[in-house]
Amino acid sequence: MFDTTGFWQKTFIFVIVLVAIYAIVNLVFLRKIKNKSKIQNIMINVLLGIGIFYLFLRIFKVIPEFFDPGFFFMQTIVNSITQVCVLALATTGIVLIFKTSTTTNFSQGMVATFGAFAAARLIIHFAATYTELGNTTIVLFGVLGGGITAFLLGVCIDVFIIRKSKVRTPIGKQMITMGLVLVFSGAIPIIFGTLPITIPRISYDPNVIFTLFGKTLSITVSAIYALGISIVLLGLLFSALRFTKWGLGVRATASNEVVASMMGVNTRMITAFSWGIAGLLGGVAAVILAPNSGNVQVALMIPTQVNGFMAAILGSFSSFLGPLVASILIPVLTSLLVFVVPLWQNAVVYIIILVIVLVKPFGLFGNPIAKKV
Amino acid sequence: MLYKNEMYKERKAKIQAIKNHPYFGFVILTLLMLVVQLLRVVGVDVPITILRAFGLTMIYIIIALGFSILLGYAGLASLGTAGFVGIGTYIVGYFTKNLEVSIFLIILITIVGAIVIGTIVGFISLRIEGMYLAIITLGLSEILNEVFKNAVNITNGTNGLGINGLVLFKNIINIDHNTIFVILAVFMFAIMILTLNIMKSPTGRALLAMRNSSSAAQAMGVSIFKYRLLAFITSSVYAFLGGVFYMSYVSFTIPTSWSLAFSLNILAAVIVGGAQSIYGIVLGTFMIFGLNLAVFQQIPLFIENPAISVVFNGVLIIVVIMFYPGGLIRLVNTISFKLKAKIRIWKQRRREYKYGVDSE
Repeated sequence: MFDTTGFWQKTFIFVIVLVAIYAIVNLVFLRKIKNKSKIQNIMINVLLGIGIFYLFLRIFKVIPEFFDPGFFFMQTIVNSITQVCVLALATTGIVLIFKTSTTTNFSQGMVATFGAFAAARLIIHFAATYTELGNTTIVLFGVLGGGITAFLLGVCIDVFIIRKSKVRTPIGKQMITMGLVLVFSGAIPIIFGTLPITIPRISYDPNVIFTLFGKTLSITVSAIYALGISIVLLGLLFSALRFTKWGLGVRATASNEVVASMMGVNTRMITAFSWGIAGLLGGVAAVILAPNSGNVQVALMIPTQVNGFMAAILGSFSSFLGPLVASILIPVLTSLLVFVVPLWQNAVVYIIILVIVLVKPFGLFGNPIAKKV
Repeated sequence: MLYKNEMYKERKAKIQAIKNHPYFGFVILTLLMLVVQLLRVVGVDVPITILRAFGLTMIYIIIALGFSILLGYAGLASLGTAGFVGIGTYIVGYFTKNLEVSIFLIILITIVGAIVIGTIVGFISLRIEGMYLAIITLGLSEILNEVFKNAVNITNGTNGLGINGLVLFKNIINIDHNTIFVILAVFMFAIMILTLNIMKSPTGRALLAMRNSSSAAQAMGVSIFKYRLLAFITSSVYAFLGGVFYMSYVSFTIPTSWSLAFSLNILAAVIVGGAQSIYGIVLGTFMIFGLNLAVFQQIPLFIENPAISVVFNGVLIIVVIMFYPGGLIRLVNTISFKLKAKIRIWKQRRREYKYGVDSE
C-alpha cells in the first residue's frame, strides 16, 4: 500500500549493527571484568529497547506525509485498544494459572468461548424478556454472565479434573488442558447448537472525538467501555494480589506449592480460585471480542489464545507486569505492520518475538529460574 | 521316541524365537494392512472409506513415531508438527505441479529441507526449554500456517493445492491409491524398524538420559547440543516424510488441515498410546485417528454429530493422563500379564486333575 522500499534492508542492517556492537563490547571491553553477566544483561536490555524503538521509527517513516503520520500513528494505536484489552485480560489469566499451577493452560480460550456462548444466549433471553432495558445494560449483563459461567467452569476444571489426576507433572497438566480443548470444541456445538448467534456491541453511539498532542482522534464508545472494564478488572486483581490474604497465598503458592501448603496456606482453594478468575478474565475478554468477528464461533478465541501465549513468553511468565506490556505491544505492532507488510503482519510479529526470546529466553522482564539438579 | 521329542522341542524353540523377535509385531501389522488391501484387489467389497482410514492412519503412525522420539525419548514437547507436515505436503504439491520434478528427487529435497528446519528448531531448543519450547514451536507453526495462507504463488492460498498424480521419471502419472497403499505399508514397516533401532541404540539411551535429567546426562558425557539437534532433525524428517506420503495419498492439501488441532491430535495419539513404545504409538494412533475415520464415520449418530468423536478423543486423553500415565499400552501389558498368570494357574490345575498331584 505504501512505499516500503528499503524498509527491511535498513531494519536488517540495524539489527546486524546492534549485534555487532554487542559482540565488540563483549569481546573487547568486558573481557577482563569479572562480574560481567550483570553488565551484559543491562546492555542486552538497552540494545533491545533501541531496536524496538527503531522499528517503530521505521514504520513511522513509511507512512507518507500526505496522510499526516502523527495522526495516522496515533489513530491506529487508538483503534487497537479493544484488541489490547482482550489480549491483556486473556494473558493475565494464562499467567495467573501458570503461577499457581505451573502449567500453561491451553483450555483458557475454550473456557472463554464457552462463556461467550452462554453470554450470547443470556443476551438474547434478556433482550426478549426485558424490552425496557437499553442495549448497553443488556450487553453488560451478558459480560457479567459470560464471566461468571467461565469462572464456574474454571473452578470445575481444577476441582474435578486437575486435582483428581494421578500424576501432576507440569507437562501432564498441560496435556490435560489440551484434551480439554478437544472436549470443549466438540461439546460447544452440541450444547449450544450449530445455529449462528451474535453478540451485539456494547454501545452503538457515535464515536467520541478527542484531541491528543494537537491531533483530533476518534474512538468508539465500545472501546471506551472495554478499556474501563479491563482497567477495573485488572486493577482489582492486581490490588488483590498485592494487598489481600488471598494475594499473599497466590504469591506463596507461586514461589513453592509444597512449602506454602506446609506453612498453612490452603493451596487447593487458591488454585481453584485462580482457575476460576482466569476463566472469568477470559470470558469477559471473549464477550468483548465477539462482536468484532461476526458470529460467535468455536474458534473465536484461538488467535487470542496463541497471542496470549506469545505475550506471556515475551513478557516472562514470572511477572505480571511483563505480559501486560507485551500484550499492549503485540496488537499495536500488528496493526501498525499492516501498512508495511499487508497480510504478513502476524508472521512478522511472531518472528520478532522469536528473535527477542532467543536473545532473552526468560522474556523481557524475567530472570533466569535457578533449578536444582 | 526320544528323537521325536527332541525335534518337537527344537521346533517349539524356533517358533518361540520368531515370536520373540522384535520385528515380529511389525511384520504382522504390515501383513494385516496388505491383506486388507489384497481383499480389495481380489474383489471382496471392503468399503473405500475403511481402506482410506487405514492408509491415513499409517501416515499418522509415521509422523507420531517421529514425535515419540522427540517427546518420549528426548523429553522435548513441540507443537510444530502440523507446520512441518504442511511443508512436506506443499513441497510435493509445488514441485510436482509447477516444475514436474521426479518424486525421488522430491523426497531427497524434503529430507534436506527437514534437516535444515530441524537444525534451526534444535538451536532454538538449546536456548528455550520445557513448556516455553512448546509455545515457541506453536508460534513457529503459526508462522508456517500464515505462509501457507499468504504465499499464494506457491501454495494457492486458502483454496488449497491439488495434484493430479506424481512424476516418477518424466511425466505426471496418475498412480492409483491401491499401489500407494502398498508402498505406504512397506515404508511404515521400514520406518518402524528404523525407529526401534534408534530407540535401542546408544543414541536412544543418550536421549533417555537427557530426558530424565539434562544435567546428569551432561555430567556423564552426553552432549546436549548434539542430541537435541539429532532429536529434532529425526522428528522433522519423519514429519516431512509424513507430509510427502500424505500428499501422494490424498493429492490435496489446504492450510486449515495444518492448524493447532492436528499437532494436538498427534500429541494425543502419542500420549494416549504410551510415548516410549512403538506398539503403544500404533495403538494410540488407531484410537485417535483410525477409530474416528474407520468406525465412527460409519455410524449414523456420529455422522449427524461429528462433534461427538472430537469429545471422545478429548475425554480419552484426559482419562488416560489422569489414571494411566504410562499410556494404554501399559494397561494392555498389565492386563495380558494378569491373564497369562491366570491361564498358567488354570493349566496347572488341569494337569493336576488329569495326572494327579506329585507327592513330595
